[in-house]
Amino acid sequence: MEIRGLERLLIGNEDEPPPEREEKGQVLTSYGVSSLVTDRLCDQARGRKVAVACFYFDFAAQKEQSPASMLGALLKQVVSGLEEIPEEIAQAYEEHKNVIDGRGPQLADIVKMLQTATSKKPTFICIDALDECAARYRVKLLHSLDEVLQRSPGTRVFVTGRPHIQAEVEKCLSGRVTTIRITPKTHDIINYLRARLDEDTMPDAMDSSLKAEILKKIPQDISEMYVGATTPEKVPQVMC
Amino acid sequence: MSQSFSHNINSLNTTVNNFTFAGDRSDILGWLSPLNPKLRHQDIQGRRVEALGEWLLQTEEFRRWHAGGGEGESDNAVLFCYGDPGVGKTFNR
Repeated sequence: MEIRGLERLLIGNEDEPPPEREEKGQVLTSYGVSSLVTDRLCDQARGRKVAVACFYFDFAAQKEQSPASMLGALLKQVVSGLEEIPEEIAQAYEEHKNVIDGRGPQLADIVKMLQTATSKKPTFICIDALDECAARYRVKLLHSLDEVLQRSPGTRVFVTGRPHIQAEVEKCLSGRVTTIRITPKTHDIINYLRARLDEDTMPDAMDSSLKAEILKKIPQDISEMYVGATTPEKVPQVMC
Repeated sequence: MSQSFSHNINSLNTTVNNFTFAGDRSDILGWLSPLNPKLRHQDIQGRRVEALGEWLLQTEEFRRWHAGGGEGESDNAVLFCYGDPGVGKTFNR
């Protein structure tokens, strides 16, 4: 196994166009982080009156992922955890049934319903890859989230995305945003390599010294690549 | 007598309404949005390499964001995580 080639596989090619959903070959993916956070929040929520809702943006689904359907999907998850459907929502549904062209709820209605539903209990919302949301939808969505947060102060929103949307997020959700940069830590890289080596389809080509070299050399090389670009940040002490 | 009759009718209506709502529960949920992000979540869950990114949950920023939930504070209600500009495009995908 050529180390350079594997390294390239691990961190990808910067010039690669983003739309392709590359499922393998990245150490730390935004959807990996989002699903991890969602699961941990769900673990903690068990037995407590806390709601957790998640959403994954996808370039390939930009058209369907409108602010109304996206926030509606969050609302659906929050409501499904409530013992009873809030009166306001049941009523809106009944009214819709009587209209001949019965469309889905409109954005303004969803925002109101989300304000009501998230006020019933503390709610965590995880949004993955916000940069993949169509630009024309994104600002509208962020403003709608801001409206929800204004009325529902017990709600927490976790968002991942590429750095170019940071300014937009901070502007639309003014005064509410804390930002963290995600970089793969050495133990992430080692864990990732171990997992991939375990899936090796040609185990005969691998011996323990090559394995040891891979686990030593690649994390070291990648760490060196990050040093120049890394601003000082707190790296928690976690054992590999 | 007629008052009690009307009361009974009302409570019957309430029961019928509640029953209707219970029966419509999945219809109402489906009406709220055609999208099902939980399916995507389950898909990712099954393929995730365990323990990657766990450190994020130990950061002070995450803890502060998390602890704020339910305490009625709206400051720092949003935690935005972004990938490194140098490699972000692909590794953070």
